[in-house]
Order: sequence, then structure tokens, then C-alpha cells
Amino acid sequence: MPDTMFIHPDTLKEKGAIHFTDIPVNAYQKTVKEERKNYSDDDLKRIYRDITILRAFESMLNQIKTQGVYNGIETTYPGPAHLSLGQESAAVGQAYLLDTHDVMFGSHRSHSEILAKSLSAINKLDDSTLYDIMSSFMGGKTLKALESVYKAKDTKDLAIHFLLYGTLSEIFARETGFHRGMGGSMHAFFLPFGVYPNNAIVGGSGTIAAGGALYKRVNHKDGLVICNIGDGSLGCGPVWEALNFAAMGQYKTLWEDGNNAGGLPIIFNIFNNGYGMGGQTSGETMAYDMLARIGAGVEPSQMHAERVWGHNPLAVIDVYRRKKELLAKKEGPIFLDVLTYRLSGHSTSDQNAYRSKEELEEWANADPVLTFRKELVDAKVAPDSFFDEMWNETNERMTRVCAWASDKETSPYADFVNDPGFVERTMFSEEKVASYGSEKPEVLIKKEDCSRVKQIEGKSRFAFDKDGKAVSKMKTYNIRDAIFEPMLDKFYEDSSLITYGEDVRDWGGAFAVYRGLKEVLPHNRLFNAPISEAAIVGTGVGYALCGGRAVVELMYCDFIGRAGDEVFNQMSKWQAMSAGILKMPLILRVSVGAKYGAQHSQDWTALCAHIPGLKVCFPATPYEAKGLMTTALNGSDPVVFFESQRIYDKGEEFNEGGVPKESYEIAFGDVNTVRTGQDVTILTIGATLYKAIEAAKILEEKYGVSAEVINLHSLVPLDYTKIIESVKKTGRVVIAGDACARGSFMNEVARNITELAFDHLDGPPVVVGAQNWITPPFEFDEFFFPQAGWIIDAIHEKILPLKGHTPTVNNFLSAEQLRRAKLGV
Amino acid sequence: MAETVLMPKSGISVESCIIGNWKKKVGDEVKIGDILFDYETDKASFECESTAEGVLLEIFFGDGDEVEVLKPVCAVGAAGEDVKALNPTSAGTISVSETSTSDEEATKTDLNASESENTATCEATSGKKEESSAKASPKAKNLAEKLGVNIADATGTGPEGRVIARDVETLAKAAFDSKYEAATKSTDIATSGAVLGKSSEVSEKETDLGEAYTDEKLTKIRSVIASAMINSLQSAAQLTNHHSFDASAILAYRKLLKAGDENYSGISLGDMVLFAVSRTLPDFPYLNALLIDEGKVIRTYKNVNLGVAVDTPRGLMVPTVFDANLKSLKEISDEVKALASACRAGNISPDLLQGGTFTVSNLGTTGVEVFTPILNPPQVGILGVAGVVNRVREGANGIEVYPAMGLSLTYDHRAVDGAPASRFAQALAKNLEQFTLILAGK
Repeated sequence: MPDTMFIHPDTLKEKGAIHFTDIPVNAYQKTVKEERKNYSDDDLKRIYRDITILRAFESMLNQIKTQGVYNGIETTYPGPAHLSLGQESAAVGQAYLLDTHDVMFGSHRSHSEILAKSLSAINKLDDSTLYDIMSSFMGGKTLKALESVYKAKDTKDLAIHFLLYGTLSEIFARETGFHRGMGGSMHAFFLPFGVYPNNAIVGGSGTIAAGGALYKRVNHKDGLVICNIGDGSLGCGPVWEALNFAAMGQYKTLWEDGNNAGGLPIIFNIFNNGYGMGGQTSGETMAYDMLARIGAGVEPSQMHAERVWGHNPLAVIDVYRRKKELLAKKEGPIFLDVLTYRLSGHSTSDQNAYRSKEELEEWANADPVLTFRKELVDAKVAPDSFFDEMWNETNERMTRVCAWASDKETSPYADFVNDPGFVERTMFSEEKVASYGSEKPEVLIKKEDCSRVKQIEGKSRFAFDKDGKAVSKMKTYNIRDAIFEPMLDKFYEDSSLITYGEDVRDWGGAFAVYRGLKEVLPHNRLFNAPISEAAIVGTGVGYALCGGRAVVELMYCDFIGRAGDEVFNQMSKWQAMSAGILKMPLILRVSVGAKYGAQHSQDWTALCAHIPGLKVCFPATPYEAKGLMTTALNGSDPVVFFESQRIYDKGEEFNEGGVPKESYEIAFGDVNTVRTGQDVTILTIGATLYKAIEAAKILEEKYGVSAEVINLHSLVPLDYTKIIESVKKTGRVVIAGDACARGSFMNEVARNITELAFDHLDGPPVVVGAQNWITPPFEFDEFFFPQAGWIIDAIHEKILPLKGHTPTVNNFLSAEQLRRAKLGV
Repeated sequence: MAETVLMPKSGISVESCIIGNWKKKVGDEVKIGDILFDYETDKASFECESTAEGVLLEIFFGDGDEVEVLKPVCAVGAAGEDVKALNPTSAGTISVSETSTSDEEATKTDLNASESENTATCEATSGKKEESSAKASPKAKNLAEKLGVNIADATGTGPEGRVIARDVETLAKAAFDSKYEAATKSTDIATSGAVLGKSSEVSEKETDLGEAYTDEKLTKIRSVIASAMINSLQSAAQLTNHHSFDASAILAYRKLLKAGDENYSGISLGDMVLFAVSRTLPDFPYLNALLIDEGKVIRTYKNVNLGVAVDTPRGLMVPTVFDANLKSLKEISDEVKALASACRAGNISPDLLQGGTFTVSNLGTTGVEVFTPILNPPQVGILGVAGVVNRVREGANGIEVYPAMGLSLTYDHRAVDGAPASRFAQALAKNLEQFTLILAGK
């Protein structure tokens, strides 16, 4: 909706047609003989050698999983083995031209891609760099274990063993694995070789890889990004969101970064093995017939889509050579349909019920392990016996690696008994990083020239004047300002910081938090995202784990459902699944609505707080908002930052002196005691704080009950010290918030208080949440969301009968509680 | 294990019911559902079914008794079980008058229990005290332990009858009052009670500051005093004689003591009056006496048990200095100080709040010149001690100023006439004016 792009009805009503260009299918038809001048013998031998390593590695896993023994070594592991036997030539072809600064993301079936990319990197890196990488990775733990059992011929030999040993140890869940065993088969990767996480969620890498490409584009980093996903993932919405996100029109039309050429530097590489688990994609579960067709539906350049015969590594190398040139000219994104075939089952328990014996036999005959070897022999690259020798060497190497990785002394499991905090330590990185950027931050004007800054300058930073009179809303520094201010400061400090979401630029965000920000930031730091919640969060994840800092926004909390995997599986888990190697400085802003009914008014803090690995906060005052946003922006952890649309224009009513102009942090986990009292503690989450204050006044004036009100602005982490202190003092506690009571975070708090302060309680901790209904229209708010009267009723009926009080809602009787639970309402 | 059967709650506003006729008698076998008795509310009649099975061991309330709802009416269990602890009318439990002060809270609790409205089933509670205390909040339990009260005795005003912290506080206050009441009732010798007990925290909070006046129910202790006072004035023929004496001698002695050994410097004018009373009374046994047996018998005492009025935060208390006539001035002074301090701390033994044969009430330090103390029946006399004022008299050298101290003697004219009473007062005044002589002893 930028006003610079004028949409004229006359243009739109003109007759015309959409033109497509042909999408090449197997354009490459050369033989090895024809390519001899472009590849040295060594190159060709190395291509085949890499294929043997990939094949031997997964054959080993297959034997281990099905027989519990490999070449006489008895070993097994309970985790998954999603194998890609038959697909090795495509992986090797893909990796052949890639550099270490080219970044690759993968799928659950990515052993071969990881190994191929790493072998390619090992081949390209000089010995000293290679040794440095190995000796410094994870404090040298993997290398030390390897060197204790193996004396290598040379550095490259050592590196190949290192790669196989580190990957297999990871699959075996050993501490010598690349991620100390915490990632496993479907989450293995090795950053120094440009191998970024593969992903156990089908299509999970789609948005993450696009985010990685966004990072490269915004921060002017060399290299491209590969998104390896399978044909099955084309049925996933987030993958389509990622395709569009990588190809958005604005990269060409609006971005000022001087490229003015195309979308993101990314190749969506679809390893098309014909099946999504057992579902046959072409002809059964998908509509595309030929997968490459999809490129034509995304953008005018058809994403330069091509279908390639992956069984020929030279065909794959060829297409990568050409597509890399396109990306060098900033003409991304690219879409590749790389044909291949999985000879093995989806997993080792696959009965192959979905394909015929004849089909398997035909593909076994077409196996590149055989066909490419024959071509090499035919082209006289080497005699057949040479390849026998190569196979022997590969198998011997694999046997050694298997023995080391199986041995519990060389490759111990993490010691959970003596080090129970092993995983705990990696759940959050807890670093303070002022800036993740290495450049001068790109801004359009000086901070003080921003109209919003001037406007804030004239506002009162406390809600009341010196006579205690309320300052007018227009003149009060509010929660919007308190979120904007620390973000603006950070934009001038951290060149890597970007923010995007729906309508954040021209509109300034649907609730005007970013008003004025577009004067300051070029498009590559502040842009309107498509209505693609999965892509908004998923690209943020990719951006952060590639090394940048991002604040992304979902317009309504309710839209978290649209980004479920990205929030719950990706944003939350990568720090710990990488044993702390990856960082996730990603802030997800979500706002809880108030007036737009059942799909726009939900407080889903409980969903986020439930998922390990996310920090969750919900400021309810400007002082809290600024302090928490500052903390989030200085940190290295993923934060879901809840806001409430009800209270965006609230001024600071509690903190003496108002909201400081200078930067300050509020530690996550702290709580905000806004009112002290003796008789009952009211804990609040979100906008309900203001209802609680109302309730506290009534309790004081009408019933002589003195209430302490504590706002829980941080849900994860949460330090219970002050809460328990208060409950010990008062003996009575109500927990109130706008979330539906059932399964809410309020229940979590109630449970902990019951356990931690049981002997001090004069009644059960009572939860006052919203009804377990849909949110009715705004007109009926008082029947759905907690009101001051509900809090008083809850105290009266469950904790401390109040003299002369008549309950307004009768919500809190035991019989009513039982009835509702029985009905599920 | 024996269980109690509770008086059913037959409606939201029902607070108590009257038992009609018992259909079972102690020793009968009863089954669950057997009709135990019929009872009526102000609106209707009902039958109470047994909620327990076994032998009807004890009936706590008989035909025609009014019983609060949800209160145990009988105990059912195995033959021979001791159910004394289950009896709500036995000592240690709260009397009806005490629970009636929390009527309003009880009504509120009823609102919470609306699901039981219009039902008339009997509720059973286990007889074991620990289990009945399971309905108490953890905080209430801890508070009960801290305050040394038995939580089983508390009346729950929390939701669904739960005993909450404020109930334990109420119980603790009631326990103190009961102790005090017991002290005043456990003997024929009544002592005058405290004045103006501090109103409870809850009732202070309930005060509506917007009104021009405040209604407060008398505290337990205040009620006891009120009836004792009215009883005194209605049952005895009281009159008061006012005397005064020259306090120069005791003032001079006081000055001497104050300047001297610190062991003696704390002896006050009041102590000296007590000492003088203890030395004078044996000569006037008709005032060191109780009028008992409905005023038909005068019991005179050989030794003087002096009741001494003490002002405390809880009100005025009257501990007793026993055999004061056998104790020295120093001993009396020390004992009075110890008793006063125990009264103020609230840990005075009830035994020391009884047994007086004559009382001295000293308001001298408050500037009182003359007052009419009220007798503590059945004592025959009480002496009021007023402050020191300067007066003039005609002396050897003409008009002279001297410090005069007032003595107000109230006595029961049924037992003593005006002249003999005045003779005691005169003797006492003389002894005080010649204080050093009585110090010397007989």
C-alpha cells in the first residue's frame, strides 16, 4: 500500500494475457565423455568418492537400525533414520560448486546433503583453516575424541573422519556429536562448513531458509542460501509463503538497497523423489503434474524454474553453475525440481506398500552408484578396479567411524546423572549483545529529526500532573511510545536489526506503534510483510540464527495459530537443539485484541509459555513495556512480546517519576508490585491489571480489605520470590487475566503458589480468567472478561467471605465450577 | 470410630432448629436413613435421618432444645466408645452466646452453600478432631498452633464453613475471655472486671465512617463486666463515706525511699495505702468480710486478701494480694508490681483474679478527688483512693497548708452501719498520718 505505487483502473481493465515461458525439463543431456574438458579426472573421481561416502554412511545406518550390527560391530540407537539411499548423486552435484559461505538448510532426510556440502567444503578449505575449525569447534571436544583413536594421514583425511565421526556421534546422541547429541539425525548440521540446520518438520526449512537469504541481502553478506526440501513439502502452506516471501515485488519496486534486481539470494531446491512418505506426489497428492510448474505461479521470472535429472551429478552441477550466475546478478529466487529416487523406505519400518517391486527394480538398475561409475569407466577416467578400491577404502573408513562412535568411552553419552543441568544450560543463551551488526546502521534521517521523536518529546512521561490530575491522553507518553522508543534507539545502534510484519511501514502497524518509523528506516529494515504469518515468524527465525536481530509482528495474538510450527518448533528449539551454538535474538510482538470478536480477542500466553525455549512477557504499563523491550533487544534469546490493544494508550500510573527518558532494563522474571496491601494478593497478567486496581479500591473502601496488586509482566522466566513473599504476608491470592481460565498460565501460577506457600494459605489460590467460551462481541465484554466485581466475588466465595457482599456473578461456587468442567465450558 | 450426626440445614436462611421428639434412644442400633428425631424450623417440620450406622451412643440435645444448624446432635458408633470429645455442649467448646456474635458471617456462608438449599439431609462429620480440622486453611492451622488454641473449637466462617485465619483469631480472643470469665465465676468471690475491652479488628473495619454514630456490640469481656456491675448495684445496699487525711507523713516517707536504696525507691503512695489497709482491717473484721448465702451470712476473715485494681490495655483487672496483713510494705509493693505486669501481659493466672476479701481501687494518679467505688459482691467493702490536694487548716501557728489525700469507702449497709464503717476509715486515716508507727509493727 505504498502511496508511491499508483494503481490506475484504466490499466487494470485493459485486455491482455499472462505469458509464460517454457520451463526447461532435463535440459542437460551431456555425457561424461563430453564433459572431460571441464572436469579433471580427480574432480570426477572425487564426485564418485563422495557418492560412495554418502551411500556407505546411510547403508551403515540402515544395517544398524535393521540388524543391530555393522561389519561385525554390534551397535544400535533408538532414534530415527530417514534415509535417502539413491539420492546421493543429486546431493553431491548440488554441493560441488558451493562455498562455505553458501548456507544450506535441510529436511528430515538430509544426511547426504550435509555430508556432501561438508565434503565440498573440506575439499575447498586450506589445511590450516580446516584444522582451526576442527580444533575450535565445541572446545575441540569432537576432535580430541577422534585424535585419541585415530592418526590421520593428512588434514583432509582427518577432516573426513571428523565429519563422519561428528555426524554419527550426533545421530548416536553422544556428547562428541556436533551438537553434543542433542540434535540427532533430523537436526544435524555443522555451521563452519555452511551446513545450517536440517529440520524434522516437513517444509520447516522453507521459511527459515528465506530468512537466511533475507539476512544475506540486508547485511550485504556473500553467498547464497539453499533450501533443501522434498516434493512432499509442496503441500505445506508455509512453504508457499516462503516462496512468495522470497520473491515479493517490493524487492524490485521499493527497496533502496541499490540492487533493484530481484528477490532474495535463495535456491529452493526440491529433491523430488516422487513420494511424501508413501503418498505419490505427482498424480496422487499434488496437482502440479510436473513440480517445476510451481515456479511459474509465483512471480514473472517463474523463479527461473527448471527440472533437472538428479541421478546425473553433472546435470545438477550444470544447473547450479547457471543459477549461481543468476543469483550473482541479484536475480533470485530460484526454484529447482531435482528429480531423484529414494530406494530405501521412508524410515526403516517402511513396508513399501505404496510402490511395486517392478518400480523398485527399475530404479535400482538406474542407481547412479552403478550408472555413473559405468560412465566414468566408459569415459576411461579410471578402471573399474579403481572404484572397487575406492569402495574398500570408504567401507573401512566407515567401519572405523562406526566403532569409535559406538564405543561409550570414546564417545560418551551426556552425563545427566552428574550433570543434570546439561540441557537446562542451553535452553536460553542469556547473552547481552548490544549489536549483532558489523556495519554502520542504515538510517534515512537523524534520530532527533523523526516526527515521532519530537512528538514524544512534548509528552508527559507520567499519567498524572503534579497536582495528581490525569494528563490528557494525547499528551501522555503511552505504551505505544514505550515500545517504539527503545526500538528506535536500537535501530541506530545495531545495523542488523530489522522489523517487519503486516502493515508495519506506511500504516505504522495496525495500532500505530511504529508511526514515524518509516521516516527513519529504509525498506530493507522496515517493510510490510505479506499476510503470511508462518513466513513472518519463520523468516525471523532464519534471520536470527544466521546472525541478525529481528523484531517481527503478528497483528493479533490469534494469528499465532497461523505460525504454530514457526513459534512452537522453530523459534523455541534451535538454541538447545544446537547445544547452544545457535542464538535466537528474535522478538515476536503479538497483540491481544479487544473488540473484534472470537478470532481477534484471545490471550494465548499459556500456549507460548507452555513451549520450552521461549521467553514470554506481557507488559501492562509503559514503564514495564520500555524496560522489557530494552531487555529483549539487548538479549540473545527468543521473546514472545505480548501487548494488549485495550491499553496501548495507557500512561504510566504507578512508577514514581514516570517512564525514564534514558535506557533501562527490566529483568525478565521480575514482577511489578504496583500497590501494597496486607490482606489479599491480586496477581495480574495483561490489561486485567487495571481491573485489579479497581477491585483493590473497592475492597479497601467498602470491605476494609487491603489488597496488594502485583503485575506479572514476565511469564517465562518467572521469579516467584516476591510473589511468595506477598502470599506469605497476606495468606490469600487471586490470579487474574484475560485468558480463558482453563489451561491458562494463571493456573500454572496458582499451582506453584499452592506448592510453595501451602502452609501460609488461608484459602486456595483462585484463578479469575475469562470464560471458556468464544469471545462474544465487545458489547458483552463484562460477561466474558474478568471485571473488578469478579475478583471481589472470587475472594468472597472462595477465600474470605466479605461482610455485606452480594456476589454479582456467582461464578466461583464449587458446584458451578464442577458443572462447567463437566460440560467443558 | 464414632461419628456425629449434624442438625440439618433445611433452608438458606435457617440458622437453628428445635428438636421435636427423639425417635431413638441411647443404646439403640441405628442404620443410615433411620429417622432419629423430628425437628422444626420457623416454617416447617422435618425428620432427621441418621447419616451414621452403629449404636446411638449419646444424645447431646434433648426434646425441645434449640440447636444451631450443622451442629452435632448425637454420636453414633460402636458400643462403649468414649464420645465426650464430640459433645458440643461440653467444656472447651464455644457457647451459643459466643457463636451468636458471628451470626452475620454464618449467614454469608450459607449463601455459598446454596446447593444445599431446600435439602434436609443430615451431614455427618467424623468424630476425630484432626479430621474435623481438615476443613481449616493451612494458615489457620499454623496460627492456631502459634496461639495455642485448639482449632477444632473454631467456628468456620470461610467458604463452605472452612475455618480461616480470622476464625482462629476470634477463637483466641474468646479463649482469653472464657478464661477470664471462668475466673470470675468459678468461685463465690467475684472480682470486678475489666473496663472497655478493645474492640476487635474486624468490627473496627466494619465501621461505616460516613455515619454520625457507631454501633458496636459489646465485647465478651465488656458484657461480663456489665452484668457484674448491674448485679452489684441491684443486689447490695451501697453507700460511700468520704474521708481525707494529712498525707505529709507518707509523702515524707516516700521522699526518703526515693532518695535511698534503689530496691526501695519503687514503693509508691498507693503501696503505702495498701499496707495501711492491710494493717488496719484486722481490727475491723466486719469490713474484711463477704456477705453470702443470699445475704443471710456474714463471713469474716482472719487474714486480709487485698484486691488491687490494675489498669491494663484490656481494661481494669483486680488481682489479689493474699495475706497482705502478713507481708511487709516491700513485699506488698513487689507483689503488686508483679501482678500488674502479669495483668498487662495478659498471662495472669485466673487463680490470682479471685479470692479477695476487700478491694482497693486507686484513681489518685488521675486527679480524682472523690468517687464512689462499686462493690465487688459479695465483698462488704471497697476503698477508693483519690489524689493529693493541698488544703488549709488551722494549726498551732495559724492557717497552714497541708497535703490532703481522699479516701472513699463504699460498704454494704446490709452488713455494716455507717458508724462502724466510719470508724474503720478514721483508723485508717490515722494510721496513714502516723505511717512510721504501723511500719514498726505491733
